[in-house]
Amino acid sequence: MSIDTIRNSVNGDSTLVSWETWNRIKHTERFVFLSSVLFVLLFSYTFGRAPVISGIFRGYHGLAMTILIWSIFALGFNLLLGQTGLLSFGHAMFFGTASYAAALFAIHVYNEPLVVVLVGTLAAVALGVVSALILLRLHTVYFSIVALAIAQLLYFLAREPLVEITKGINGLDIPRVALLGIIDLEHEYSGLVGTLLVNNLYIFIGVFFVAVVALITRIRKSPYGLIFKSIRENEKRTAFVGLDVWRYKFAAFILSAAIVGLAGGLMAVNTQFAGVERLYWSVSGDIVVMTVLGGLGTLAGPVIGTFVFFYFKGIVNGFPALGNYWLLLLSLSFTAVVWIYPDGIWGMLTDFTVALRDPKELVAKTKQRLANLLPSGGER
Amino acid sequence: MSIDGIVGFLFIALSVASLYLLVAVGLSIVFGSLKYVNMAHGVLYLGGAYIGLLIASSEQYGGLLSDLGQVGLGWGFIPALILTPVIIFVLGIVMERFLAKPFYERDLLDQLLVTFGVLIAAQEFVAIIFGRTGTIYPRPEWLTGAISLPVIGTPPGMSAASTIRVLVVALTLVLILAIFAFFKYTDYGLAVRAGTEDSEMAEMLGIRVGRPFLLIFAVGSAYAGLAGVLGGSLFNVTSGIGMEIIIPSLVIVIMGGVGSLRGTVVGALLAGLFFATATELMPSMTRASIYLLAIVVLSLRPNGIFPSTEVGQ
Repeated sequence: MSIDTIRNSVNGDSTLVSWETWNRIKHTERFVFLSSVLFVLLFSYTFGRAPVISGIFRGYHGLAMTILIWSIFALGFNLLLGQTGLLSFGHAMFFGTASYAAALFAIHVYNEPLVVVLVGTLAAVALGVVSALILLRLHTVYFSIVALAIAQLLYFLAREPLVEITKGINGLDIPRVALLGIIDLEHEYSGLVGTLLVNNLYIFIGVFFVAVVALITRIRKSPYGLIFKSIRENEKRTAFVGLDVWRYKFAAFILSAAIVGLAGGLMAVNTQFAGVERLYWSVSGDIVVMTVLGGLGTLAGPVIGTFVFFYFKGIVNGFPALGNYWLLLLSLSFTAVVWIYPDGIWGMLTDFTVALRDPKELVAKTKQRLANLLPSGGER
Repeated sequence: MSIDGIVGFLFIALSVASLYLLVAVGLSIVFGSLKYVNMAHGVLYLGGAYIGLLIASSEQYGGLLSDLGQVGLGWGFIPALILTPVIIFVLGIVMERFLAKPFYERDLLDQLLVTFGVLIAAQEFVAIIFGRTGTIYPRPEWLTGAISLPVIGTPPGMSAASTIRVLVVALTLVLILAIFAFFKYTDYGLAVRAGTEDSEMAEMLGIRVGRPFLLIFAVGSAYAGLAGVLGGSLFNVTSGIGMEIIIPSLVIVIMGGVGSLRGTVVGALLAGLFFATATELMPSMTRASIYLLAIVVLSLRPNGIFPSTEVGQ
């Protein structure tokens, strides 16, 4: 990553196994794709059933599926905030709307998981187009707050005036049907597949997860994605280069809405339910916490953030003494991350591993940092 | 609609507007002059509501306080109304020094994220201590029913306006006039205005803009604390009210136009009017109304009703 590491590896003899090759490989699309497949294959097992490790995690299969879906949500959100620099405090609107659309379509029109998820995604895209027309005229905090206002409007609309359609706080139930009419989603496998993946529903969600990761990597590596980044860094300069900033922002917004809508549709299929709480501001807040905590603008960050969030929510919550404090601990660590270390958990990890490659320098740096800390500590 | 109906309607609109306004005023000033967006402002409202409750009455709470039985001083409503803003004023000073100041130079989005984190943490902290179930302020005898003044009794036409709503509206009116006067007629107000215009220039002319800013921040905080006490008696008190009040307040500030106090006042009045109209005509739309209003207004005027400063553009 940094110039130092590259120079080091040039000096050393360049064998097949060197930092240089690793640095090259880890940024290729194929590597990202394969590691996301590997992640899906191993995640549920390590989290919920592997001998020693799952005993530490205390996870379970259902939570693993929830984490995968929310990771898609976080990746979609990150495309907008991390990549393009637009902080939406109302992304719950896409999640909740897609969920509702999926459920309504399944109940009133045609119930088939793939079609239902697609309908959810399309509904989110439609909402994205409408809200983008309002939101993209606004900047920074205006954008965030008005996005929140739109989400809250939809929440209160779904809760009372539209109670005939949405069933208000009771929500909608969707019956479970077979995928494409033949594949039973709840069919549990035996043998190796059963150990790793358990059931078809997990595979169904996992395929979408890998597809979203692949899509986002493609966007990140493409010139198109680079323009998103340049808008994040400096909108005015991007416009001066001659690019139509509005159009790119619109594209990023719609892409983000579509991915979040996909997550919303999957959530409806997974839980067989769509409810008004998916439109509430706390969903928007949670996704901000997850993404920022994990690491903005990266691919692994949002996934790690989602994992940490649900680890606290689903598992630390059940701990005897600590359980009561899970949200307090989580929100405090979120605040600390934004305050002190804006790169998030993933940023910490990568910085640390880069530092580890040169242990001598790490020791020297730490010594110097300590030396710096002591006298200046008394002064300020 | 009878005269009673109109008066009742007006006071619902005005009292809701007042409550939002008391919270939004601090937000608006800090956002406009310091370019600092403070979601943690909701903490001050939340703190005001609970501190006021502790002063005003003595109740059985859930959470960590559940074993202690009745907690609170039980001094009544008036001491709570006077003491709470003072305590929240001090809390505001602490917040400015330790939360806001390190972030003045940083990105608006960082400010938004950090203060959001602080707000969520504070709400959870309150929930752990006081429990998650809501309470309501015990309303003293003289605050219930229609207003009745000494000597003249209930003024003509006012029988539909409840005393608490009249109190909220009157207090807000006085406080808002005070803040306008502060800006217009005092040296500190002048320093704040100068600092808003160009803080570097003001400092070069020998004006310490830091202190007036601190003062105005703390005053805004005290207003939010007072709103907590008043809001607690109009609505209910739960650990989630910080976020519940901050969303509409931020929306009002943005709708009115950031940096314009006049805009905030107009925005709050519009929101209150919409709220009351929805209550009359379509009760199910009551809580959605303000967001609908904001979206319509900001679609027509992206910089708010009274655009004055350009923030983040």
